[in-house]
Amino acid sequence: MRKLLAGIAVMGLWLACLAQAHAQQMTEMYIPIGQSPGVSGKSSLMGAIESVNPQKHTLAVSGPSGIQEILLTDRTRIWLDRTQARLPNLTGTLANLHKGLKVEVKFRDADQKRVAEWIKVQVAESGAPARKP
Amino acid sequence: MERRVRGRLAVGPEGVLRAPVVAACLVILSACNASPSQDLVAKGRQIFFNETFQGNGRTCGTCHPAENNLTLDPAFIATLAPNDPLFVAEFNPDLRKNFENPRLMRQFGLILENLDGFVDLDKKFVMRGVPHMLGLRTSVDSPQGPRTGWSGDGAPGDGSLRSFATGAVIQHFTKTLNRIPGQDFRLPTEEELDAIEAFSLSLGRQQDLALPLPLKGIVPKRGQEIFLDNSLGKCNRCHANAGATANFGAGSIGNANFNTGVENLPDQPADLSGELNPADDGFRTPGDGTFNTPPLVEAAETGPFFHNNAIETIEGAVAFYDGEAFNSSPAGKLLAAADPDGVGIELDGTQIVAIAAFLRVINALENIRQSVELLESSRSKGIAHRAEAKELITRSLNETQDSIRVLEGGGLHPEAVAHLREAQTFAKKAARSLFFRDRLTKQAIEEQNKARVQLVESS
Repeated sequence: MRKLLAGIAVMGLWLACLAQAHAQQMTEMYIPIGQSPGVSGKSSLMGAIESVNPQKHTLAVSGPSGIQEILLTDRTRIWLDRTQARLPNLTGTLANLHKGLKVEVKFRDADQKRVAEWIKVQVAESGAPARKP
Repeated sequence: MERRVRGRLAVGPEGVLRAPVVAACLVILSACNASPSQDLVAKGRQIFFNETFQGNGRTCGTCHPAENNLTLDPAFIATLAPNDPLFVAEFNPDLRKNFENPRLMRQFGLILENLDGFVDLDKKFVMRGVPHMLGLRTSVDSPQGPRTGWSGDGAPGDGSLRSFATGAVIQHFTKTLNRIPGQDFRLPTEEELDAIEAFSLSLGRQQDLALPLPLKGIVPKRGQEIFLDNSLGKCNRCHANAGATANFGAGSIGNANFNTGVENLPDQPADLSGELNPADDGFRTPGDGTFNTPPLVEAAETGPFFHNNAIETIEGAVAFYDGEAFNSSPAGKLLAAADPDGVGIELDGTQIVAIAAFLRVINALENIRQSVELLESSRSKGIAHRAEAKELITRSLNETQDSIRVLEGGGLHPEAVAHLREAQTFAKKAARSLFFRDRLTKQAIEEQNKARVQLVESS
């Protein structure tokens, strides 16, 4: 009986430890900024990049409620949105994030809004990061 | 009430004048009777089976056909025309490479998915079966959030069932591998997502069974006992009430993901083909090896089984849990850890067949329930809605055919099968009849109920 309860406890713990079910992020890269279902206009942050700190892996975004600092982890995905130029979207890196670019950020934790799950950044036609004119 | 109106249409000098007016009123009344949610479901059905989203010609129904329990299997695929949009990779040059594997699709019903990203398309993909969409209302929710698709992470955006269609359009509807919205497809609108979600949730069962059922057949009855026995079959732990939610003794934990070792099965059909079939790491990127728990009530009619269509029959699917691949998997080891004797799942051939027989019978009972519901709905359609009534009867015929197939496949309840065949005969006549539709439909329902009585004690 003890073994049964222990087993059930282990299983319960294992299931409880499963992190929140994340969306299939891979098709997300093709969804333009502002159009992610259930996210855009609800829990994401849309704005312009104020500054990037590659050392700290942070990004400051100027949004509707002021400037917000966002932390990037090795699990944060960055996508280059080239939909407006009718070009396929690409996977990006921190190096593609530059001041003035339009971004949308989905947070890992929708309440705390601190760690980015993904960042979409609008870039120029060439695929190279578009800088603010 | 409706019949009286119809009588007026047929007789009397004023009938000619009044007919169009009354018919128009019937249509308006009918429209008024439909609730907003019914309207949304109807809109969702229309989108699901007809909307191509300006893509390659596929609709949601291409891979989830209504006439095949919203799933694909090689036998159904073999009935499709060569220019069916399912085969778009065979005739659209832009999709010839890295979009599908036609051989694995036709032989094993497998669809290509880029679940780990859209780079290195030659090597980075997985081949998965098409999950049916029946009973979604009971099988998506979990405390960790919604779980959609084979690995529980099938939707972009917020990961909800509502968002699923957006990801599906991007993955499966595109005209080219550039996948540019507005050029290769259009994304579903918010309203379309609402409608598709409403339709998806309307499909099949709206609630879980309450086991045990008072089954009549000796073998299915024993199968149910083994299924529910947490020291023998242990099926009910992860498939509570033969659904898709888990319960380890402290209440339901909702729909869950497990690594059951399916990927470690030897001699998987797709591997035997010699085609490139990369390992599937399941939930997330990179994956944790877990896959989502599907409901079992609809299992017998929706094979092949598991995310990779590795096993063709329901008996084989049950037998999987007696094998090495499962018992050496993380889920198998957890079950063993919870067992006083340290055993995972150990069943003999007769027990495997008994559990499968149980699953066949509960599937047939669900089909009978749906058949009767559809036939009853068809009876409520007046003469102005004859086409709708015929469609409902046709859907009921599909359900009845499934009942027959799952019972006959297990050599179960021949008397019930005979009643189901009678029900088919009456329903077919009802679909054709102009004047006796109601009476014939009623007779079809009676035969369905007689079949049901053969399977389960009437409450």
